[in-house]
Amino acid sequence: MTNEAVILTQGLTKSYGNREAVRALNLSVGRNRITAFLGRNGAGKSTTIKVLLGMVRATAGGGTVLGKQITDKKANLDTRRRVAYVAEDKPLYGYMTVEQTISFARSFYSDWRTNVERQLLRDYELPTRQKIKQLSKGMRTKLALLLAFARRPELLILDEPSDGLDPVGIENLLQTLVAQSADGVTVFFSSHQIAEVERVADHVCILEKGGLVVDAPLDELRQSYRRIDLVFPFPAPEREFRISGVERIRTSGHQMSVLASRNAEALVERAHCLNAVSVEVAPVGLREIFLETVKEN
Amino acid sequence: MLWYRFWLETRARFLTSLATVTIFCGVFVYHAEGLLRPQWKSGFNRLLFINQQFLVIMWILACVLLGMGGIVREKAVGTSSLTLSLPVRRATVLGVRVGVGLAEAIVLGVVPWLTVFVISAWAGMPISITQVGSYIVLLTGGGLVYFAMAVLVSSLVVGEYTAPAVAFGVVLLSVLVFDNWIPRFNAWRLVTGDFSIDRKTFLLGKHLPWPGILASLAVAALMVLASMLVVERREF
Repeated sequence: MTNEAVILTQGLTKSYGNREAVRALNLSVGRNRITAFLGRNGAGKSTTIKVLLGMVRATAGGGTVLGKQITDKKANLDTRRRVAYVAEDKPLYGYMTVEQTISFARSFYSDWRTNVERQLLRDYELPTRQKIKQLSKGMRTKLALLLAFARRPELLILDEPSDGLDPVGIENLLQTLVAQSADGVTVFFSSHQIAEVERVADHVCILEKGGLVVDAPLDELRQSYRRIDLVFPFPAPEREFRISGVERIRTSGHQMSVLASRNAEALVERAHCLNAVSVEVAPVGLREIFLETVKEN
Repeated sequence: MLWYRFWLETRARFLTSLATVTIFCGVFVYHAEGLLRPQWKSGFNRLLFINQQFLVIMWILACVLLGMGGIVREKAVGTSSLTLSLPVRRATVLGVRVGVGLAEAIVLGVVPWLTVFVISAWAGMPISITQVGSYIVLLTGGGLVYFAMAVLVSSLVVGEYTAPAVAFGVVLLSVLVFDNWIPRFNAWRLVTGDFSIDRKTFLLGKHLPWPGILASLAVAALMVLASMLVVERREF
């Protein structure tokens, strides 16, 4: 694993009229990592991806993908040769058959792997002669993934890749993502399925209202975030716990729950000093971190 | 493979239009021919001229439909991100689409007239191949401006149904405006043969209105160029 950034943005902003879809985004996606890009609907994830791929122009700021400026049209063409992208709505031409779609996509990429294509066709059980418009959502997702995985891209950008897949399909997808990463491919994917993200991601970026609110390795998040449940013999002294690293405090009578991104030890010590009758420290899952982060913002 | 993709995208529209136009011309000429005997010579030539009027209407409608599509329409139907993620310039995508559409438009002009030529010969009233060729040149050379206009509209107007509705509206409006205000520059009249027909013999003149045809082609080229610029700058 190297620290070289495959995706790098500086102050990237995209506005639609008065609305800022992406706000001064400073994003860095490391090579050979699986980076999860999380956020609520409308947080700006898809817009960010579209700006990175040159589909929409940034209003301000800039960035690079695979070392190429995203604002440079010629460079962008080269980037698209080296990046495999699966869009959120899994766009495919409805009038083509599965076979025609694969032949069409194959013709654009010199890195196409026919053996992988055949293997995935078998694994996904795709009906090659069927028209795209007759396929189910899950089958369309599988075909879109096949078009990405049959290549050997340097960077895989996947927007909601598990959308429409059944549990078996999701399991296969996660295994493929890990295998791709092990093969040297950088994976950057957005998802609403936190459980999936927790299983495969090395790094997590959380976007809220167009701005980056969390950007950290998943292990670091797991180690640093703690939920501390406290019970006091008197009404919970919320103000005493408002220190650096505290993300959220909830009080109910004599009880208090503190979510801390760091300084958990200091909080425990403070609780003991304030004669807390019960102090329980528990690790926090990514789902809770995500929910609290976006709620807080 | 882009050409193949656009062929798959437009083939239903193209083949339906081709069958409709060809059958119409064949049936029209064959049946009307019988009705007009025995003064068939000038009557038949007039019939061919009338055939061109009907053919122009159908051909332009078909061309407008063939001109629809492209990345802007794809945005409406949700496939634009697939096209835009391909390692191809937007202008190339549009260029190939226009190329396929042009070829189809030309075939749509040639096949019905060749059918008329064959049917006439078979019915014992052969028509001059020069006349047939002139009608085809007028139709395709002068009329491609309507196809280019449809391409431009489809690059400017988003919406699966809005774009063809606007395109048909623009065709109608342009015909009315030019006919009322500057009839000499009315492409519709150029295409139907109004500017070149001899009203006595109903034969097209030896000299086709080349300046008009070339001007029409130049405007068509400008419209395609404008479409390319629009698509290159547009956000999806």
